[in-house]
Amino acid sequence: MTSNTASVTAALHVPEGAVRDHHPGELVVDVHPDAILDLTDRVSQQLGGRLLSLFATDDRARTGAFGVHQVWSLPQRQTFLRLSASIDPAAPSFPSIAQKHPAANWFEREVMDFFGVRPDGHPNPTRVALHDDWPGGARALRKDFPDDSQVPREPGDRHPFRPVTGEGVFQVPVGPVHAGIIEPGHFRFGVAGEPVLYLQVRLFYVHKGIEKRFERLPWRHGLFLAESISGDTAVGHALAYAHAIERLANVEVPPRAQALRVVLLELERIYNHTADIGALATDVAFTVSASRAQALREGLLRANDRVFGTRLLRGTVALGGVKRDLQPEDREALRSALRAFEKEFDSLIALLVDSGTFTDRVDGTGILTNQAARDLGIVGVAARASGIDADMRRDHPHDAYEDLLFKVPVEDGGDVRARLMVRAREVEQSLVILHQVLDRLPDTPCAAPVPDHLPPGASALGWVEAWRGPCTHWVATDERGEVARVKVTDPSFLNWPGLVHAVPGNIVPDFPVINKSFNLSYSGNDR
Amino acid sequence: MSVEALLALVAALLQAGGMLAAAPLLRTGIKKMKARLQNRQGPPLLQGYYDLAKLLGKESVQSETASWVYAAGPRAYFATVVAATTLVPVLVAAAPLEATGGILLLVGTLALGRFALATAALDTGSPFGGMGSSRDMTIAALAEPALMLGLFASALSVGTMNLGVLVRDLVQQGPSWHPSDLLAFAGLFIIVIAETGRIPVDNPATHLELTMIHEAMALEYAGPDLALVEWASAVKELLYLTLLVNLFLPVGIATGFAPGALLVALGAWAGKVFLLAVAVTLVESTNAKLRLFRVPELVSVSLGLAFLALAIRFL
Repeated sequence: MTSNTASVTAALHVPEGAVRDHHPGELVVDVHPDAILDLTDRVSQQLGGRLLSLFATDDRARTGAFGVHQVWSLPQRQTFLRLSASIDPAAPSFPSIAQKHPAANWFEREVMDFFGVRPDGHPNPTRVALHDDWPGGARALRKDFPDDSQVPREPGDRHPFRPVTGEGVFQVPVGPVHAGIIEPGHFRFGVAGEPVLYLQVRLFYVHKGIEKRFERLPWRHGLFLAESISGDTAVGHALAYAHAIERLANVEVPPRAQALRVVLLELERIYNHTADIGALATDVAFTVSASRAQALREGLLRANDRVFGTRLLRGTVALGGVKRDLQPEDREALRSALRAFEKEFDSLIALLVDSGTFTDRVDGTGILTNQAARDLGIVGVAARASGIDADMRRDHPHDAYEDLLFKVPVEDGGDVRARLMVRAREVEQSLVILHQVLDRLPDTPCAAPVPDHLPPGASALGWVEAWRGPCTHWVATDERGEVARVKVTDPSFLNWPGLVHAVPGNIVPDFPVINKSFNLSYSGNDR
Repeated sequence: MSVEALLALVAALLQAGGMLAAAPLLRTGIKKMKARLQNRQGPPLLQGYYDLAKLLGKESVQSETASWVYAAGPRAYFATVVAATTLVPVLVAAAPLEATGGILLLVGTLALGRFALATAALDTGSPFGGMGSSRDMTIAALAEPALMLGLFASALSVGTMNLGVLVRDLVQQGPSWHPSDLLAFAGLFIIVIAETGRIPVDNPATHLELTMIHEAMALEYAGPDLALVEWASAVKELLYLTLLVNLFLPVGIATGFAPGALLVALGAWAGKVFLLAVAVTLVESTNAKLRLFRVPELVSVSLGLAFLALAIRFL
């Protein structure tokens, strides 16, 4: 029994042996549904836990019950804690924690949508993922729901939005189809003139049933599905899936592969952050710097293409390591590309923060307070811009991060400026990391062999601090060692409510820049 | 109809035609210069004409909820802008239809076009059109008086509200560096930025409906209707720049219809408008767009400048 296990057992007031060491850095407690509320309170208050994911499993064939699982990050202990409860299929419901832990809000409603297991005591027990024309009885993630089912659409009225009333108050519907090349999502603003009183977001237009699809794919092929979850986070999701599989199969990833995975992840981070910074400039019509940022991003993508043979870093991660080793001459090419980038990037940031008309647009715009960010369980860039010092690369080190020196930039403003500055400073830290890694790449193979079969009836969590925030994949196998369930949590799913919270009080024409400062993925959210 | 009236009508048609022909070049030119400042190639200089030809060749699409107001909007907007071109001296120190009215008629005609477009944008019931109209009117409530005051400041130096007479006198006096003229020029330059929907007031290149002002009003239009709106906006921009250069830098303007003088006038006009277009480009490229509620502050500055210019005339 490790010291973590003992201290967690004590803090939760559970009997000795209830907290199990599942994998390194991953504890599991089986709880009775009635104890969920008390235990979650203790996890968040005594252990400083932050909810990362909440999901259900259909274990009726094996145990005769549904499972409802919560995954908490315990950053002070560098460990994750999973609380798992068995739910009787005869009365499929579980106690909701959303009232006290708003981060669980969408998760619990998604469990209801896809499993038909109701969260009891949820403050707003309505559909979140399913749209109105989906028939009530079709529970897509239950095992007895064939993945090729043709579901008849239910006719009915249009979605009833919450009314916003008052003198001179009206609603502005925007989307789901937008101008420009972005994904679909419906925004409904309740406005009094220009100021926004209330924002309702309707997503899941690009729900593709990815979690269901994983259950039908051979687990080796799941990697390709994982990297397609959100196109801008190909490395992040692929790595999270690979981590889960490797932990399931007890594969030790060689040091060189771990280092190269850091390179890939940081390259993904800087090209996305640079693009986001440029997009912020575009949205406030600061044209020259927007163009410079685009050119910088293009330079990075070309370096990616040259070194890894892929611009957006798809197909670079392998189960057990990476697909392509870095040749010495490629390492030099990457180094010099990064040095050129660094100089240009610094002057781009100087151009932005020294321009009064630009800073006037981003200062104080779209504030997400620290309290709101904590309550909503906001993660990643958005959390760090609201004063939450959390970064999995440091709190739950994966790959080679444990041995690397870097800072976690945190800003207190919570506004567009803070999210911009977190990105800018993270790019600087990424460059620091990349130079460290490239300076001393370990001399080992770049992939370890993966066994032919996964252990049956097992499960493991894979996690990555991707550029937008933590991506987690929880993978469970069935009695044949095939994938029984994959729960994918993209940081966007946790952060969309943060955007909804940051917008009211601002004016309508500032919405695009606030939205862009979060830059959440629709595809990753909808899956 | 008297011979003068007939000649004035011919001149009006020629001038309106000339402005219509030249306007797309101005817009594309600014786009091109902006692109060069961003290290991009930018569109070919004739792109404005290609776009208009393309739009004019398409069919019109009309929302089911739209009434005749929607269809009339672009036509009225286009007509008022074309009419306004005949009230301003361009190459010759005389406006073709100057006998019909001066500064007040010009401002009124442009306001009528604005009213037509704003009403039409409300007609479909699309929230973007409504937002565009409301924003445009908010700005216009300040920009129109500022435009008038700025023009009055110039008119006061000569003592006439007739733009033709005014420019004739200014040409005789030569360029003036009177503080009143400088202040009025600065004020009117801001108005030109605001009225032509340029950064930092509006962004003509944006795709973000929620931030649009002028573009939001044109959002529902397609095909020939859109061509009319775009074309009229381009002409309006050229008209404002022409007014500015002819009132505040009255050099090279022809006083008669001698071919040589006209040619010089054409070159001088094109050169001056180009310089002002460069200034517009630089403003667009070095500024971010203002927060919407700051735009009235900017336009108020121009109102203040125009007021000062006017007051100095009385000192």
